Amino acid sequence: MQRITIDPITRLEGHGKIEIFLNDAGDVENTYFQIPELRGFERFCAGRPVEEMPLLTNRICGVCPEAHHMAAAKAGDAVYHIDPPSPAKKLRELLYSAFYVTDHTTHFYALGGPDFVMGPHAPVAERNILGVIHKVGLEVGGQVIQCRKYGHTVVEMIGGRKVHPCTSIPGGLTKGITKEQRDEIVSMGRWAIEFAQFTLKLFNDIVLSNKAYVDLILGDIYTHRTYSIGTVDENNRVNFYDGKVSVVDPEGKRIGKYAANEYSDWIAERVEPWTYLKFPYLKKIGWKGLVDGKDSGVYMATPLSRLNAADGMATPRAQEEYEKFYATLLGKPVHQRLAIHWARLIELLYAAERWVELATDPEITSDNFRAIPTATPTEGVGIVEAPRGTLTHHYWTDERGVVTKVNLIVGTTNNYAPISMSIKKAAQNFIKHGTVVTEGMLNMIEMAFRAYDPCFGCATHSLPGQMPLQVTIRNARGEVVDVLRQFC
Amino acid sequence: MCSGNFAEMELTRRHGDTATQNNPRVIIIGLGNPLLGDDGIGWRVVEQLEHAIKNYKLRIKNYEFDYHAGGGLSLMERLSGYDDAIIVDAINTGRAPIGTVSVMSLDELPNPALGHFGSAHETNLQTALQVGRALNASLPNQITVVAIEAQEVYDFSETLSPALADAVPRAVESVLNLLHKQLDSEVAHSRI
Repeated sequence: MQRITIDPITRLEGHGKIEIFLNDAGDVENTYFQIPELRGFERFCAGRPVEEMPLLTNRICGVCPEAHHMAAAKAGDAVYHIDPPSPAKKLRELLYSAFYVTDHTTHFYALGGPDFVMGPHAPVAERNILGVIHKVGLEVGGQVIQCRKYGHTVVEMIGGRKVHPCTSIPGGLTKGITKEQRDEIVSMGRWAIEFAQFTLKLFNDIVLSNKAYVDLILGDIYTHRTYSIGTVDENNRVNFYDGKVSVVDPEGKRIGKYAANEYSDWIAERVEPWTYLKFPYLKKIGWKGLVDGKDSGVYMATPLSRLNAADGMATPRAQEEYEKFYATLLGKPVHQRLAIHWARLIELLYAAERWVELATDPEITSDNFRAIPTATPTEGVGIVEAPRGTLTHHYWTDERGVVTKVNLIVGTTNNYAPISMSIKKAAQNFIKHGTVVTEGMLNMIEMAFRAYDPCFGCATHSLPGQMPLQVTIRNARGEVVDVLRQFC
Repeated sequence: MCSGNFAEMELTRRHGDTATQNNPRVIIIGLGNPLLGDDGIGWRVVEQLEHAIKNYKLRIKNYEFDYHAGGGLSLMERLSGYDDAIIVDAINTGRAPIGTVSVMSLDELPNPALGHFGSAHETNLQTALQVGRALNASLPNQITVVAIEAQEVYDFSETLSPALADAVPRAVESVLNLLHKQLDSEVAHSRI
C-alpha cells in the first residue's frame, strides 16, 4: 500500500498531519487527519475558582478569546444558578457582536477571500491579504484595519481589555458603559454595517457574478450531506450569544433543539485509535464512521450550518441576504462547504446590525449589570456560537465554587469529521490509479481548510503558527519520491 | 464604498511620528502562550526584563513592554508606531539544544512558521508587515527576534521546565545587549 503524508507544519514540526493511504490500484483507500492533543487542561483548571475560568480559558486561543470568555462566563452563571440581569446579557452580546465583526472581516479579507479575489489558481504567494488589497484597492485594506480597530475598541470598552476581555463574571459583568461610550459604540457600529454591506457587494461582484466560481461552490468536491447545528433565539433566528442549539437533518428538517445543560443528551464523542482528538457526533443518530447521509451522526457547526439550522436572521438587512443566499444556491439546506464563505459574510452583516441594535437599546447604559450569586455552586454548562462553530464549556465545582472537572467541545472539534471527509474527497479527486496531481490536491485541501478555518489551537488547546502544507509522496516501499510544500 | 477616515486607523501613520533618529521608540514583546509551559518563555523573559530595568533603575528611554499571544495582523498592529522591535519567543527547530538562545532579524528566521509570528487564521507577520507598509503605517525599521529553543509545549503549566528556566537570564541578557546597541550609550553603561 502506498502512503502519502501531508504535514500542515506549525511551529511544531508534524503537528496536524494528514496521511493518505492508497490501495493496490493506486486509488485513495483512506485518509487520516491527525491532531495531537495537549495534555493536562483539566488538571490545570482543577482547584481554581470558577470565576477565574473566563480569564483562563480566553488564553487557550489567540484567535477567539472572546468566545471562550463568553462560554466560560455563561458556564459560571450556570454553576452559580444565577440569571444575569437583562442589561448584562445585552452588554455581553454587544461585545460579542463587535468581536464577530472583527473576526469574520479578518477571515474574509485575509484567509477565505484570496482564493476568490485572486482566483484559486493564482500563485500561492499572491493568494493572501496583500494580493487582495492590491487588487481591490489600498483603501479597502485601510477599511479592514479600521474595522478591526473598531471591534477591538468595543471589546475594550465593555470587556476591560482589548482581545482578552476580563469583565464577565458569574451573574453579569464587573462594569457597564457610559452614555458617551454608548454613543461612540453606536457610531462605530453604523460604520460596520456599511462596511459589511460593502463586503457583501464585493463578494457579489467578484464571486457570484463569475459563473466559474458559482460552479465551483456548487460542485460536488466539498459537498457533504450532513446534519447542521447552530444556536437560535426563541423565534428560531440565528443568535451567537444565547438560545438553544437547533439540529436539522440533511434534508433541512429540524429534529430538535437543545439547551446548554442538555448537550450531553445530543452530542457524544467518538474515540479513534489513530488520533487524540475525538469526533463529536449526534448521539440520537449514532456514529457510522466518516460518512454523510441521514443515518450518519456526523454534523457541521459553521456559519453555513447556523444558517441551515435557523429559520432566518433576526435583523432586516441580513434577512434579505439570507433569502438571496438560499434562492441563489437552489434551496435549503445548503451542503456545499465553499458556501461557508458567503454564509460568513451574511453573519458579518447580522453581527454589525445586532451591534447597533444592542447599542441603541435603552438598557445598555443601565448600572444593573450584575446579580450577586447566592446559591451553592454545583455544575454548569455554557454555550455560545464561536465564529468557527458551537462552543461548549462544562464545569463541575465543589460547594465553594472551586473547579473539580472540565469538559470543552470547541468549534473545530465539532467539524473534525466533515473536515476529514473534505480532505478525503479532495484527495480522491486528485489521486487516481496511482497518479497524483499534487499541486491541485494541495490547492483543494487548502481551500477546504480555509472554508472551515479549523482552529488547531482551540481543538488541541495550543497556539499554532502559520500552516504551510507539506506533501511527502512515498512509493509502495515507503521511500520518499517527492516532497512539495505550499503555504496555507 | 463605505466612508472611512484613514487617520482613525489602528495603525500609526508614518506622518506625525514623534520619535527621532536619536531617540528611537522601541517595543519589546514577549510572544507565546503563557499557559503552555515552555511556550510562554517569551512572557517570562520580558517580565524579568521589566523587573530588572525597574529594580536596577536602568536608564532606558522610549521603550515599552508588551505581552502578546497572536501573530500576523494583530502582531503587526501592535508593532505600529515604533522604530525598533524586539520579540522574544519560543521556537522549536529540533536543530539546537533545548534552551539555546538565538538572536536574529525577523528576515533571518529559518522558517516563517516558527514561533508565533504567523496566524493560521489570517497571514504571517512578514505579509502583515507588507500590508501595513502598503497602507503607509509607521512600522519598525528593524525587528529582532530573541528565540529560545523549546520542547515542553504540549502540557498546560504556568511554570517553565528546568532547561528553559535556566535560559531566561541568558535571554534577558541578550535583550539588554540589543538595547545596548539600539539605545543611547548611557543606557548601556548604567546597567552594569
